[in-house]
Amino acid sequence: MRVWASLALALLLAIIVAACAGHDWASPGDVLRAIAGDPSLGARLLVEWRIPRVLAAALVGALLGLGGTVFQGVFRNPLAEPYLLGSAGGAALGATVALLVPLAVPQSLLLPVLAFAGAWGATILVIGISRVSGAVDAAGMLLAGVAMAAILGALRSFLMLALSDETVSLQIVLSWVLGGVQTPSWPVLGLMAAISAACLGLTLVLARNLDILGLGETMATSFGLNVNRFVMLAVLAGSVVVAAAVAFGGLVAFVGLASPHIARWLVGPLHRPLLPASALVGAIVVTVADAIARSALPPAEIPLGLVTAVAGGPFFILLLARRLRT
Amino acid sequence: MTALIADKLTVKRDNATLLDGLSLSLGPTGSVAVIGPNGAGKSTLLKVLAGIEAPTSGRILLGDRDLASLSHAARAHALGFVPQHFDPHWDLSVGELVQLGAERGERVAQEAVDKIIAAFELAGLGHRRWSTLSGGERARVLLATVLVVDPPVLLADEPAASLDIRHRLDVIRALAARGRDRLSIVVVHDLDLAFSFFDRIVLVDRGTVVADAPAPALLDDPRLDAVFGVRFERLQTNDGWLLRARL
Repeated sequence: MRVWASLALALLLAIIVAACAGHDWASPGDVLRAIAGDPSLGARLLVEWRIPRVLAAALVGALLGLGGTVFQGVFRNPLAEPYLLGSAGGAALGATVALLVPLAVPQSLLLPVLAFAGAWGATILVIGISRVSGAVDAAGMLLAGVAMAAILGALRSFLMLALSDETVSLQIVLSWVLGGVQTPSWPVLGLMAAISAACLGLTLVLARNLDILGLGETMATSFGLNVNRFVMLAVLAGSVVVAAAVAFGGLVAFVGLASPHIARWLVGPLHRPLLPASALVGAIVVTVADAIARSALPPAEIPLGLVTAVAGGPFFILLLARRLRT
Repeated sequence: MTALIADKLTVKRDNATLLDGLSLSLGPTGSVAVIGPNGAGKSTLLKVLAGIEAPTSGRILLGDRDLASLSHAARAHALGFVPQHFDPHWDLSVGELVQLGAERGERVAQEAVDKIIAAFELAGLGHRRWSTLSGGERARVLLATVLVVDPPVLLADEPAASLDIRHRLDVIRALAARGRDRLSIVVVHDLDLAFSFFDRIVLVDRGTVVADAPAPALLDDPRLDAVFGVRFERLQTNDGWLLRARL
C-alpha cells in the first residue's frame, strides 16, 4: 500500500511542478487559482495550454510504461522495449507522410492517425512475416522486427529526400521523430484518458498469462497456455498501446524500457501489480521530462525524446552492466 | 482415476524420427520409470504424453478421451508435468510460484495450497525469491507448483538429476510414492534408483518401447545390456540388486 501511495503522491507532485514550469514559471497558487476559474489571461493560458499538455505528457508516459511491460513480458527479455517490432519505424514513416505530403486533411488530425496506423501496421506486418516464414516464436518476431525497422527507415529517408524542397522543412519531421507531446484540447485530452484507461484494462487481461509465460514455454504449455497464440495476441495488444503513445507523443526514447524495471524494483515481477505501477512510473518520468523540455532553454523547447534519452542512456548502460555481471 | 494410453505415437522433426510408432498402456495408478540411453526419445515421449508437443501421427487417450480433444485448462489440470530444467524468467517468490500453479485450469481451494506448502516443507520459504533458493529447495518448490492441483497423472523428466544424493532420493521417493494412488511416470537416469523405487520399468530405445515389465522381471533381461551398450554385473545386496556397468 505504501508503494502505491508514494507513487500516486509522486505523480501528483510531478504534475503540480510541471504545471508551474514553463517559459514563465507559475506558482502552485496561480495554478490552483487558474483551475478554480480565475478569468485573467495568465490563468486562461494555464488552463487552455499548459495543464492539458502536462496531463497529456502523463498519459503518454503511462502508455509507454504499459507497452514496455507487455513487451518485456512477452519476450522475457529485460532489454525489450516497445519500439522493438517496427512500431517506431512505422510511426515515423506515417508521421513523415502526414508532415510532408500535402493532403486535404488537417495535419492535427492526420498526424496522430497516420502515426498510429504506421506503428500498428508495422507490427502487424512483422507478425505476418514471421507467420509466413514459419517463425512464430519470439525470436522469429524479433528478427522480422529488425528487418522491418531497416526497411521502414530507408523508406522514410527516401521520402524525406524526395519530398523536401525550399518550401518544406525537414526540421518538423526531425523534431517529431525526437518526440514531443502535442497540446490537446480538453475534449481530445478526455479521449486520450479514455484510450489510456482502455489500454490499462486490455493489458491487465494479459497479466496472468504473462506471469505463466515467464515460467518458460514448456511449463507455460503444460499449464494450459497456447504459447504461440498468446504471444501473438499480447504483441498485438502491446503494439496498440505503443501506437497510441506514439500518436500522442511521438517517439519518446527509453521510457518504455526503463519504467518496467523501476516498477519491478518497487512492486515485484508479477504483472497484475507491475502493469499499473509501470504506468505510474512512466507517467511520472514523462511529466518531469516534458517540464524540463519546456522550461530548460526558454524560449526554445527541447524535443522530449532528447531529454529522456539524455537521462535514459546512462540508465540503459547501468542496466546492461548489471545484466552482464550476473 | 485415469488411465493413459499411447497409440502408435510417431514424432518426426527435421527428417529425424524421435518416436517411431511407440505404443504404451498405463493403468490409473502405479509408479513407472522410463529408462533408456541418451537420445532414446524419453523426453520427447514425456512431452507428447503431457500434450506439450503434438505427435506427427498417433494419438493419446486419457481415460476414454482423446488428449487432443481436451481443452487446455482440462489438460493442465489432468496432467502434471515436471521439466528437467526449470528456470523461471522473473524472480518470483515461492508463494507466487505455487499460487501460479494453483491457478492453472480450474482454480483450486486455498486449503490445497496450504496443504502442498506443508507437504513439501515450504512454510518458511513463502517470501523467498527463486534466485535465493538452493537446488534442493528449488526441486521441492517445482514439485509443489506442479502438484498443487493434485493431477491424476504426473509426468516428470527427472528433475533431480543434478541434486546431491540425499535430495535426489527425497525427490525420487516423492515421485514414486505418488504411484500408490495416482499414475506417476518418471524419466529416471540412475538405473539403481529406477529399479529400487518403481513398480514398472519401460525401457525405451530409438523412439520405441524395447521392454515394459515389472521392475524385478526386467532386472535380468539381456535387452538392458544391449540397449545401453554395456555389460551389467547384477550384484545382490541385503535389500535388492545393484547394477554395475562394465564396458
